[in-house]
Amino acid sequence: MQMVERRGASANGDARPGDSEPAFLKLEGITKQYGTYTAVDNLHLDLPRGKLLGLLGPSGCGKTTTLRMIAGLLSVSGGQIKVGGDDIAQKPPHKRDIGLVFQNYALFPHMTVAENVAFGLEMRGVAKSEIATRVEEALEMVRLPGYGTRKPKEMSGGQQQRVSLARALVIRPRILLLDEPLSNLDAKLRDEMRVEIREIQQRLSITTVFVTHDQVEALTMCDCVGVMSGGKLAQLGSPEDIYERPANLFVADFVGRANALEGKIEDVDTVRFGDGVYKCDTHGARNGKATIVIRPHRVHVTPNRDRTLVSVMTNSVHGRVLRVTYIGDVVQYDIDTGTHVLKAEVHTASGGHAFAAGEKVLCEWKPQDMLVFAGGGQ
Amino acid sequence: MNQTVDALSQRAGQRRFPLIALVLLVPMAIINLVAFVLPVLRLGQISFMESRSGGVLTGNYSTESYIGFLTDRFSLDLIGNSLFLSLSVTFITLCCAYPIALFLHRVSPRWRNVLFVVTVSPLLVSSVVRTYGWMVILGEQGFVNGLLMSSGLISSPLRLVNNWMGVTIGLVEVLIPYMALSLIAGFGRLDVNLEEAAASLGANAWTRFRRVVFPLTLPGVALGCLLCFVLSISSFITPKLLGGGRVFLLATEIYDQAVIQLEWPKAAATSVIVLVIFGLALAFYSRVVRRFE
Repeated sequence: MQMVERRGASANGDARPGDSEPAFLKLEGITKQYGTYTAVDNLHLDLPRGKLLGLLGPSGCGKTTTLRMIAGLLSVSGGQIKVGGDDIAQKPPHKRDIGLVFQNYALFPHMTVAENVAFGLEMRGVAKSEIATRVEEALEMVRLPGYGTRKPKEMSGGQQQRVSLARALVIRPRILLLDEPLSNLDAKLRDEMRVEIREIQQRLSITTVFVTHDQVEALTMCDCVGVMSGGKLAQLGSPEDIYERPANLFVADFVGRANALEGKIEDVDTVRFGDGVYKCDTHGARNGKATIVIRPHRVHVTPNRDRTLVSVMTNSVHGRVLRVTYIGDVVQYDIDTGTHVLKAEVHTASGGHAFAAGEKVLCEWKPQDMLVFAGGGQ
Repeated sequence: MNQTVDALSQRAGQRRFPLIALVLLVPMAIINLVAFVLPVLRLGQISFMESRSGGVLTGNYSTESYIGFLTDRFSLDLIGNSLFLSLSVTFITLCCAYPIALFLHRVSPRWRNVLFVVTVSPLLVSSVVRTYGWMVILGEQGFVNGLLMSSGLISSPLRLVNNWMGVTIGLVEVLIPYMALSLIAGFGRLDVNLEEAAASLGANAWTRFRRVVFPLTLPGVALGCLLCFVLSISSFITPKLLGGGRVFLLATEIYDQAVIQLEWPKAAATSVIVLVIFGLALAFYSRVVRRFE
C-alpha cells in the first residue's frame, strides 16, 4: 500500500509524546537488515519514563524485530538504543537489565513457579532470604500468592502469563518488553489481563514497550501508539491521535474499520465522490485526487427522507441496504449509494429500529468525520 | 456441552480400543514369542545344565556354571572391563554427539533435514565395514600415524589399534548416530524462547546452558546413554576386530565359550549375567526418567 502523507497533519496530529518529558528509552535510527531485505528501517522513537508504548502493525511490519533488538536478542545493523542516556545497542542481552514477556510465556518447565521467578534474582546475586520475600511479593502482585510450589504445566494459560510477568518484573528492570503477551489467551481472559497489565505497569511506573497486532490492545492500554508498516513508523501518537487524526491512509485503514473512497478535492472545504459533493476539511488542499476515509460507526443511518431536511450532519447520501450483518452490540449495514458501497455500523438497542436488506435509507455524517488524504490511489 | 461430547467420545473410544489393539498386536507378539522369549527361556535352561568335555550336554541340572563364573577372578574382571568400557564409551559418545544434536535442533528447518541425513548416514554402512576402515586408519602405517609422523609430532607410531584405545574409538564412532538420534528425540522441551528468557533475566551463555538447556535435554541424554550403554556392552564385532585379541569383554568371552571351548552352559550363564546387567540399566533408566516428570 502506498503511503500518503496527510497534508497539514504535523499541525495537530503529530503531537509527539516525548515533547513535554525527556525520553527514557530512545531509539536513534535503529535498522535491521537481512541481506538486501530491510526489516526495520532507520527507526527513531522517544519514550518518556514510566510510559507504555504500543507497537502496532500487521505481521512482518518490523514491530517484533524492533522489540527483539531492544532486548538484545537480535543485533542491530545500525543505530543506537539509549536507555537513560546509555547506548545499550552493543550489549549482550544478559547485561541489559530488561524484563521480557513472551507470547508463549517461556516459563522454565523444569522449575517451580517460585524457582522461575527467583531465577533473575539469583543471576543478580541477591541473598537467599531476600529472594524468598521478593518472589512472594511478585506473586502477590500478579494475584498468585502461594502458587510458588506449583509447576508451570499445572497452571492455566492466564496464570502462566502472570507468572511470566512476575518473573520479568521481580528483577526491577529498567525497561519492560511485552511481545504479544495476550495473543494465546481466550477473549474474556484477554480483557482481564489487559486491565491487569496496565494497572501493574502504572503502579510500578515502568517504561514499557508492548508489541501487538491487536488495535484494541494498543488503543486501550497504551499511553502512545506507534503504528508500523514496512519497517518504518507510519505514525506515533496518542491512541486518540492514531484513531481520530491518522497521519496517512495506511494508519486510517489499519486502525479501526474504514470506508476508503476514491474521490476528488474541489476546494479547501469540499470533496466530491460518486454523484455527491460533501463538506469537510482538506487541510489546505484545493484540488487533485484524494482518498476519503469515513469510519462506519460515524455514519448515521436513518429512514429514507428528503435530503433537503438535513441540517445537523451536513453530509448525506441516499442508498439501499445491500446486506445486514448482526454482530450483537452493533449491526453492520452495507449500503449501496449507486456509485459506492458504504459500510455503516449502528449500535443495537432494545426495540430500536433495524433496517432490512433492500430498504431505502439516508446516510449522514459530519464534516469532521471525513478524513481526506490528498493524492488518493492505493 | 463440549465436555459431555468429549466424555462420550472417550468412552466410545475406550470400548473400541481393546479389540483393534489386540488384533494389531498379535503378529508382533507371535514373532516376539517365537524369536525372542522362547530362545531366552531356552538360554536360561541351558545355563543350568551340565556338559562333558567336547560340549555334550549330560542332561543333569546344576548351578555350576554360575558358581564357576562368579568365583573366577578372570570372569569378574570381564564384568569390570565391560562395564568400564561401556560407561566410558557412552560418556565419550555423549560428549561427541551432544553438540551435533544441539546444532541440528537449532538449525533452520531448511538445513535440518539434510544435516539429519548426513548425521545418520554412517548407519548405511555396516559396522563391520566401518570397523575394518578404522583398522586401516588407526594402524601403524595408517592415516593417523602417517599424519602425526610426517608432521614431526611423534617419532614412532602410536599404538592405536589392537588395544582398548582402538576399541573405544571404533565403538564411539559406531554409536554416535544412535546417540544423536536419541538426543534429538529427547530435545522436544527445548524452546529457544526459554534461552532468550534466561538471557533477559541476566544469565550468561554458560549459565543458560547449565541451568536451562542441559536440564531440559536430560530426557534425551538418558535415552541416548541407555541405548549406547546396552549397544556397547553387547557389541562383539568391533571389540573383536579392533581389540586384536587383547581386549577381553563379556561379549567376546561368550563367543569363545560357545564357539571355541564348546561350553554352552557356561556361555549361556554368561549371557544371562549380561541380561541381568541390561535389566539393571533399564531399571536405573526408568528411575532417572521418572525424576524428570
